Amino acid sequence: MITAVRKPLNEIIEMVAPYEKILVTGCGTCVTIDYSGGAKEAAILASQLRIARRLGGKKLETLEQTVERQCEWEFVKEFTDHAAECQAIISMACGAGIQTVAAAFPDKPIFPGVNTRFIGMPQKQGVWEERCVCCGNCVLHLTGGLCPFARCAKTLLNGPCEGSQNGKCEVNRELDCVWQQIYDSLKEKGRLADLRKIFPLRDWSTGEDGGYRITVREDMML
Amino acid sequence: MGESGLKEFEPEILAFACHYCAYAAADLAGSMRLQYPTNVKIIKLPCSGKIDIIYILKALEAGADGILVAG
Repeated sequence: MITAVRKPLNEIIEMVAPYEKILVTGCGTCVTIDYSGGAKEAAILASQLRIARRLGGKKLETLEQTVERQCEWEFVKEFTDHAAECQAIISMACGAGIQTVAAAFPDKPIFPGVNTRFIGMPQKQGVWEERCVCCGNCVLHLTGGLCPFARCAKTLLNGPCEGSQNGKCEVNRELDCVWQQIYDSLKEKGRLADLRKIFPLRDWSTGEDGGYRITVREDMML
Repeated sequence: MGESGLKEFEPEILAFACHYCAYAAADLAGSMRLQYPTNVKIIKLPCSGKIDIIYILKALEAGADGILVAG
């Protein structure tokens, strides 16, 4: 899932200060699951904005609407009626959702309600950890199911750096050294021999370094 | 009325009370004819665990000055 955190209230208050009627949009997928931008969080933000505006002696009218996914045209179209009534839109979706809404309603100012953080998973209630950097060339079959790109601070490919101590990362001692974890995982699986494979210099053009990526599936096109 | 002539501030308090304990206690207080200020309004929840930040925000928007969650 894509994880996000709500932007600080004061930042949002400042962004939407010039507007008197705002559409606050939630997204029903990733940001609902991580409690940052779903229907409930949209309602909370709208209420906070109304209270803040009233405390400042001014008026703010809000509409709230949440769709299944803000990163798809079909769902974003559902905002059309409410968007027409409002001067500006706050999107509480991830960056992909925000940009979809921005493109769908080019005449409306759009404001992000969250800071999108990473692709990860809920490690336990209230804690999310990064797991994938979308490198476009997965090596998890060779690394015991643990990603060295997402989980090594130095993005090392052929074992730990000399700073790995007692299973912890030297960049942040709170973090586990993923290469220690990879070793432990492969040992448990009886596949330590996988570590003998040397990764050559990596072509990062499949990742974000190659410009923004477009996937084309001709078999799926209409 | 205060000496200044201005109305003294009387906060409106909204109490969210658990059906099984706090609300029952308030109910019992009523049966015992115990008095409490009229600016305290009680809303019964099936459990105080049902309280939600949005209930609190809506109450504040609707004019409550303070919220009491009892359970």
